[in-house]
Amino acid sequence: MTPIQMTFSTMFLLGLMGLTFHRTHLLSALLCLETLMLSLFLATSLWALQLSTINIACVPMLLLAFSACEASSGLALVVATAGTHGSDHMQNLNLLQC
Amino acid sequence: MSYLVCVLLFGLMVGSVGVASNPSPYFAAMGLVMVSGVGCGVLICFGGSFLPLVFFLIYLGGMMVVFAFSAALSAEPYPYGWGNRSVKMYVAAYVLGVGCAWKVLLGKWSGFWGGILDESGELLVLRGDMMGVAAMHDVGGWMLVLGGLGLLLTLFVVLELVRGVSRGGLRTV
Repeated sequence: MTPIQMTFSTMFLLGLMGLTFHRTHLLSALLCLETLMLSLFLATSLWALQLSTINIACVPMLLLAFSACEASSGLALVVATAGTHGSDHMQNLNLLQC
Repeated sequence: MSYLVCVLLFGLMVGSVGVASNPSPYFAAMGLVMVSGVGCGVLICFGGSFLPLVFFLIYLGGMMVVFAFSAALSAEPYPYGWGNRSVKMYVAAYVLGVGCAWKVLLGKWSGFWGGILDESGELLVLRGDMMGVAAMHDVGGWMLVLGGLGLLLTLFVVLELVRGVSRGGLRTV
């Protein structure tokens, strides 16, 4: 595997693991989600640049637009959590716990 | 030039480990700013001009700013940095994992290291990635319309999620 492919694949896996093994804050889990999006942006941009398929350069732009949608929805959820529970700690989200 | 790319890729790894180890969101946002800056550097080294610019403006200047001031929602008197014991454990685990993966999978990499040089070999004003984005406006106009409608829908989704008073997302407030 080339170092560049290894880098963005490892970035994706690191973001996924950071999202899975979340600790305290909902916002830091959202930041790991942003790392996932960043690695996908890098991967698609490097695809367009290295293989000279320049029509694929529209994919990172659209990915950025939809990632902005997702980030804003996640932040709205953080605001809602801070409004009802007083903080965005993950252990407060336990209504469905038996 | 290839050493510069190696340094930038190392910076990407360091920043992603810093975000994935889940410190307090203040520090994780700083790690993400570093990762996006270094990622723009990597794209520039491979001949991109418009995509790194878009990334800096929209991602750093738009989304990261919103994340940074939303980090005030997770304020605590003693935020956990990377020197904290529990965060250091995660950092050590991720560095060990990444190191093992790189040692195993990158022992001998294939010959194609990636063209650091540009393919055109001459001075151009309109680079490849800018032409690709121009194609999105030209041939992919319907995708742009769809994206715009999706963003408009997200605006209303966000407004409904945050609204209280019994008809919105917050029922108890």
